[in-house]
Amino acid sequence: MADQEDAGALQSLLMSRSLTDAELLEASDTAPDYAILPDANVVKIGGQSLIDRGRAAIYPIVEELVRAKDEHQLMIGTGAGTRARHLYALAADLGLPTGVLTDIGSAVAGQNAQMLGHLMARHGVPVVGGAGFGALALYLSECGAVVFPGMPPYDMWQHVPSEGVIPPYRTDSGCWVVAEVYGARSMIFVKDEDGLYTANPKTDPDAKLIESITVDELIAMDLPDLVIERPLLELMRHARYATTIQVINGLKPGLITRALAGEHVGTMITAA
Amino acid sequence: MPSSDHLFSSKDVPSSLMRQTLLDRELVRPATDRPVIRLLPWLHVVTIGGRSIMDRGRDAILPLVEELRAAFAKHRMLIATGPGIRARHVFGVALDLGMPTGVLASLASTEAEQNGHIIAALLAEDGVSYLPHTSVSHQLAVHLSASPAAVSNGFPPYELFEFPPPVGKIPPHRTDTGAFLIADAYGAARTIYVKDVDGVYTRDPATAADGDGEFLSRVGAAELLAMDLPSLPIDRLVLDLMANAKHQEEIQIVNGLTRGNVTKALRGEHVGTIIYKDS
Repeated sequence: MADQEDAGALQSLLMSRSLTDAELLEASDTAPDYAILPDANVVKIGGQSLIDRGRAAIYPIVEELVRAKDEHQLMIGTGAGTRARHLYALAADLGLPTGVLTDIGSAVAGQNAQMLGHLMARHGVPVVGGAGFGALALYLSECGAVVFPGMPPYDMWQHVPSEGVIPPYRTDSGCWVVAEVYGARSMIFVKDEDGLYTANPKTDPDAKLIESITVDELIAMDLPDLVIERPLLELMRHARYATTIQVINGLKPGLITRALAGEHVGTMITAA
Repeated sequence: MPSSDHLFSSKDVPSSLMRQTLLDRELVRPATDRPVIRLLPWLHVVTIGGRSIMDRGRDAILPLVEELRAAFAKHRMLIATGPGIRARHVFGVALDLGMPTGVLASLASTEAEQNGHIIAALLAEDGVSYLPHTSVSHQLAVHLSASPAAVSNGFPPYELFEFPPPVGKIPPHRTDTGAFLIADAYGAARTIYVKDVDGVYTRDPATAADGDGEFLSRVGAAELLAMDLPSLPIDRLVLDLMANAKHQEEIQIVNGLTRGNVTKALRGEHVGTIIYKDS
């Protein structure tokens, strides 16, 4: 059987070659794909864009998520927001490295997860993080949703950006990687704009909404500002599962529900 | 009713990065362009290869441990270990089961940790302990004030959050990369990779049929990447990351099977291949 031959070749390469060996990497590509949680959807709730707005923005979103979890398994990731910006500005001015900024910034996404968790507690929704991810499957099957802090655990081992010290991989990347590693059904970024614009719509009146775009097109446009973290586009190029993300406006009721149903209600970004 | 803009500003914390996406380069640059300080400028990060040293057992490990012990009088160090052959085995099993890169990263990280426990046990009487990632990132200073060295898992704590690689499923952030990132974050004095080869050859001395090829005693990271050699004693990602490093201007690969090399490298002597930042 060809499959068994492939598997045998892979095993022998794994035992004999360097882990940077091109042939070994190609062979590992032929290994089968098993999606761990194919029915789960990752929904990221923006920090600065939504949670920092307080109840006006968050109560309707919580209601919508609680209704949606009856039909869809939800892994709800949180962004950081304005307090992380304060920490980054303070720490950068003190000359502290990216690793320290990552570590202290992740606490803010954790606070936001804690608050969202309390709001959803009466509906049985727990907050998970770290080792708690081991019980994810149970939580999703029992109550349909979990909340997790969106910051990835890179801490002092975060990549250093080409200029400055702001951590390049933050909560957008953290939530997306969760969708990718679990083989989730969809990845939805809930923000406070209708999607991706050609410029920042909060400051530029000429900004135009982009309804659909590929990652390669978006990288080629080299926009000065962007609604999602730039390095995430590079990660998406190598996706096996989370090849499409949708950015939607959480201030407009009903869009999360429609996006979970597969409707195109914001900007679709696709790894071509 | 306050306007939404009013509501928004009332919930903002004033800072130079307030109300930004953090993605607008022109706005972020002036707020974050201070030089980065070295948190532990006396730190030496010593990486012990899994395949190259640990898997060779006592003949390779015990002399190296003795050498490190002797160096404790002069240097404070974080010793990072790689996982070696057991990671290859667990990759094989997990790939066959269809597991994704993030799961492979978690599994291999466990093996690197076990090798760390072994080194820490051998150095325990000198006050050396194994530190989990959270202690390395939060309590390294106190540990190295109380003890000349600590041992940690060379793998960075990416685990389930590991990046999907450009080709295949092998986790890209491994021991060499983890050690480099933590060394740069702490602003360490030196980063030394202890392997079983003298350094970088233009041909892999373990497999080359017609001689060893040329030995590169000093080479730029970008230059080495551009040479596109089929095999390197260090992960390519380290060479990529050197371009953005704030402090690690160079790293040294030394042969840990040759007595005295690690001692000399800790003193700053050039005994293997030095790879320097050239971009």
